[in-house]
Amino acid sequence: MNIQEYISSGIIESYVLGLASPEERVEFEKMCALHPELVEARTNFELSIERQAFKNSVQPPGGSKEKIWSAIQQSTTTNASKIISMEPRKRRSTGLRWFAAASVALLLLASYFAYTLYNKNRQLQARMERNDSLINTLTHVDKMVHDPNVMVVNMVGLKGSPSSANVYWDSTSTDVYMVVKNMPKLPSDKQYQLWALVGSKQVDLGLFDLPESNVILKMKNTQKADAFAITIENRGNTGGPTLPQLQSMGKAKL
Amino acid sequence: MSTNTKYSEQELVSQLLQQDGQAFSYLYDNYSPALFGVINQIISNREVAADVLQDVFVNIWKKISLYDDAKGRLFTWMLNIARNAAIDKLRSRSYQDSLKNQPLTENVNTITANSVVNPQQNDIGLKKQVGKLKEEYRVLIDLSYFQGFTHEEISKLLNLPLGTVKTRIRSALTQLRTMI
Repeated sequence: MNIQEYISSGIIESYVLGLASPEERVEFEKMCALHPELVEARTNFELSIERQAFKNSVQPPGGSKEKIWSAIQQSTTTNASKIISMEPRKRRSTGLRWFAAASVALLLLASYFAYTLYNKNRQLQARMERNDSLINTLTHVDKMVHDPNVMVVNMVGLKGSPSSANVYWDSTSTDVYMVVKNMPKLPSDKQYQLWALVGSKQVDLGLFDLPESNVILKMKNTQKADAFAITIENRGNTGGPTLPQLQSMGKAKL
Repeated sequence: MSTNTKYSEQELVSQLLQQDGQAFSYLYDNYSPALFGVINQIISNREVAADVLQDVFVNIWKKISLYDDAKGRLFTWMLNIARNAAIDKLRSRSYQDSLKNQPLTENVNTITANSVVNPQQNDIGLKKQVGKLKEEYRVLIDLSYFQGFTHEEISKLLNLPLGTVKTRIRSALTQLRTMI
């Protein structure tokens, strides 16, 4: 909108007559600072309103001037009398002191309660978040278990190793999940690693530590797998599987 | 309590800032009839209007330090104080109750195109000009300027979209400008 359009938009009249919104007023004042022609148009309208008002003057009732002047003086003396107040100060101030002490005590008490409630609330929130994520995981597990496209591979321990786990392989999304059933704890420099066996190749599906609870672990995706295997590797292993450390295996049946 | 001194607006403001009694006298003598006229367009009862006039002058006296000449003329500022004070009074419970006790007054609670607050005062000042506007504009200016309803309130009262209320008030005001 150019300045001429702005001038004739009715904003001047709204502003001068007190009908503009606070936002419009702020904008108008900014525009006035930038455009002298806007100020000129505003002044012209103000003058015409002023003329109109003077033309339609009505004399106030007689005696108004004196009444108003004494009201003004009274309103200024009430302010002054507050300063030179001769009230019995001592008693009032003792009362005030008690009142102040009580207010402070109340404030402290209120702050304490507010603080306690705030902490409780935070604890509850944290717990709720943990529960939410657990519910999400469980819902996910439930869905996996019941999804006909998801193949469950039962991993059994080899060579006397008790390690057992279930691998869930979604053949459509290629997602791989794992639920640890029973696996011994490892020294802190070791990790378990899941592999997919495709032909004669071993494809890394991710290193993992034993989860705190029996939750589902999301592993790397694979499109193909004839079987799955779990080995024990050095923490952060980037090489191939250490086959003598093969803990458990399961065949994927398609 | 009267004076023959002539002040410019600027001089008047600086005298008022010094709480000068002469300045009050000048202010009252020069502006009270115009301001009383404005108040009368909103409040018809002369006694009540005189009370409002008193509030207006007390307010001008107390708030003169807030007046900013970059934002407009002194009279505009005083006019808005007067209009606001009159509308506050108009909407006050005591005033509404006093109206109910007057058998000749229309029911002010019914807001229709014809229920202007002061029917007998349609022929003076800005109101006279507003009366010449077309009906849909006249109602809007009456409700917003003379009765102080917000755009939102008018939108609800008249069952018009807020945008329509805003644009119509703007058009009404531009038309009004050409008439005064």
